[in-house]
Amino acid sequence: MSPFPFSRRRSAHGPGVAAVTALGLVTLVACGAGDGADSSARKGPVSITFWGWTKGTQEVVDAFNASQNDVRVKFQEIPAGNAGGYAKISNAVKAGNAPDVFNVEYPQLPDFVSRGAVQDISEQVPGDLKSRYLPQAIRMTTLGGATWALPLDIAPQTFYYRTDIFEKAKITSPPKTWDEFRADAQKIKEADPQARIATFFPDDASAFEAMAWQAGGQWFKPEKDAWKVDFLDEGTKKAAGYWQKMIDDDLVHVAPSFSQQWTASLQKGRTAGYLGASWGAGVMGSTLPDQSGKWAAAPMPTFDGSAASGMVGGSTFAVSKDSEKAEAAVRFAQWATTTEASIKARIKAGASSAYPAAPKLVPVAKSAFKSALFGDQDLYGLYSDAAKSIRPGWAWGPVMGATDGSLKDSFAKVQKGGDITTAVREAEKATTKELRKRGIKVTG
Amino acid sequence: MAGSVPQRATALIRPAPVPGRHRSGAPALLLLPFFVLFTAVTLAPIGYAIHLSLYSEKRSGLGFGGVQRVFTGLGNYTSALGDQAFLDGFGNLALYCLFYIPLMIGLSLLLALLLDSALARAKRFFQLALFLPHAVPGIIAALIWMYLYTPNVSPVVGAMESAGLEFSMLGNPVPAVVNIAVWEWTGYNMIIFFAALQAIPRELLEAAVVDGAAPLRVALSIKLPLIRPSLVMACLFTVIGSLQLFTEPMILHGAAPDVVTSWTPNMYAYTAAFERNDYGLAAAASVLLALAAAALSFLVTRLSGGRSGKAKGAEA
Repeated sequence: MSPFPFSRRRSAHGPGVAAVTALGLVTLVACGAGDGADSSARKGPVSITFWGWTKGTQEVVDAFNASQNDVRVKFQEIPAGNAGGYAKISNAVKAGNAPDVFNVEYPQLPDFVSRGAVQDISEQVPGDLKSRYLPQAIRMTTLGGATWALPLDIAPQTFYYRTDIFEKAKITSPPKTWDEFRADAQKIKEADPQARIATFFPDDASAFEAMAWQAGGQWFKPEKDAWKVDFLDEGTKKAAGYWQKMIDDDLVHVAPSFSQQWTASLQKGRTAGYLGASWGAGVMGSTLPDQSGKWAAAPMPTFDGSAASGMVGGSTFAVSKDSEKAEAAVRFAQWATTTEASIKARIKAGASSAYPAAPKLVPVAKSAFKSALFGDQDLYGLYSDAAKSIRPGWAWGPVMGATDGSLKDSFAKVQKGGDITTAVREAEKATTKELRKRGIKVTG
Repeated sequence: MAGSVPQRATALIRPAPVPGRHRSGAPALLLLPFFVLFTAVTLAPIGYAIHLSLYSEKRSGLGFGGVQRVFTGLGNYTSALGDQAFLDGFGNLALYCLFYIPLMIGLSLLLALLLDSALARAKRFFQLALFLPHAVPGIIAALIWMYLYTPNVSPVVGAMESAGLEFSMLGNPVPAVVNIAVWEWTGYNMIIFFAALQAIPRELLEAAVVDGAAPLRVALSIKLPLIRPSLVMACLFTVIGSLQLFTEPMILHGAAPDVVTSWTPNMYAYTAAFERNDYGLAAAASVLLALAAAALSFLVTRLSGGRSGKAKGAEA
């Protein structure tokens, strides 16, 4: 018998038909894999997928997989949330092939909850587990009375600065108030006309939001059944006016965060400081390998001189809506946020400087973190104080995508006749419009 | 033209199709792959997009109590058309086309004519060298140019600064994007025009030279009218391609906040879908963009159709 019984017929139909058949099969197979991937009924370890981007995540996943045999985590690194990661997750949720568990930052969590992309994990998270995290972190992961995510870190804003540039400009101690910060900015510019004390990030609304938060702003207040939305409160007005003046007087650079422009400016010593989050130290360590020992960290300056801080980002673990393995997912999330082994794996070699949301892990993180960039400074001691000074009362709204999008677009104009106060007013308008469009109640 | 007469003759004397299963089945079978693919990758997604565009997602209270899909009819269309950001996107696009299309088509035409002229040396080399940028994927091209635009990083910006020239490309999105697009597409269109020029019968050109036409006159009065169909086609593709502008500004967006999130209509749809999670609005914006593209293509083919028809008449 001929080994190719169908060869003649196939050639009669031409390669086109074969190609189409093959394509159809591929499509069918692909669909089948999507629907039938759930193997919870089968014996053996439960396999879950996880998407994230925070530093040291691969190490945490490896350590978790090595530590037990019941749950296998498949980790896929995605771009950072605002750099396309959230778009990817949203798309996957919409398409029905979302990972079981993924990272979301506090600002975006209400957005994800509101559009039904994550599931309520109240049942899997008992009270004694909740008590292992800082109450601020629990407040921000509890929305409408239900628990939606487990907090990984909290991210108080911190002022990082180049000690050598400060010395050259004859500044002896880091600024405690925003007035001092402005005076120091002038000194740095005088010492080197190309250098500036810090950078205003037009692409990253969260940096400005943290400063509004620190100044006492409260943009969203959840009332009984409606949001009270007021962006232009006293605190926010103060922060907006201050930063616009810094930009108008050319005392800060204006450049996108983590852009080539910003990084190059840091590397060339033309940017002497960074108003970043606690996790920023780890990121800087890998960006500026040859500035060892030249950096130091200080608490955020404030308007009245008493310690206060807002947060920039801060990550949580959330379980996607359609995941049928919530239990395994929460088990992994719990391990990754509360165990010593996880924080050691994450922080090893100073790659991450996340400040754990579980207070018990802070000493572990502190002893594991080594950064050549900051010499021997006790960053975690500083973060602890900063974490305590995070102002209570700030809540993130459920349409931060629209809020931040509007802010970013207007921040682009701050050097060209626009201003921050107007940008905030526009953002409030866009936010209220979006909330109403989605049927969410707004007052004020 | 001489060649077309026998062809038409054959067409006339072709026997009528013999009725029979085998014969009538073959064309259908041969066309099937096309229609299957066309349905799967073009019609179905368009249908789905139209379907999506008619719905909105609604919540209630604080917004944490679940999502309801509501039929909103043309609501998403009116909110897209009522959104200044969406209309601004079309404005940016118009401005971009105004600079890009004449510049790119003009440049590629000029290069093609130069290559085609008897004076050109090393034709093969220049053809390849000019075409090479097109072989670079759009994303990579945008990344390279972003690097070249970025102060503190780019040698070009550095050189310009030391020469006292200060022009921030990142602060001026239209020239920044036009420049990338011209770099990417000039070589491609140049090849199309060059191929069309090569197909012009040589005796025509020789006759012109014998009649005493200078090279410039030959180019303008003989070559240009004869390659008009290619020109029209290139313009058509460029217009449609321009409407879909996305990759280059999206990449630049990371370095240049002036390229706002809704800088082109496609970016508006992207932001609506993946940053604001309003799939209905995103679908409506996409459908509106597709309609604009269809209308524009129709217009261009109509305008050019008349002319190339006339040109053919003149040839005959």
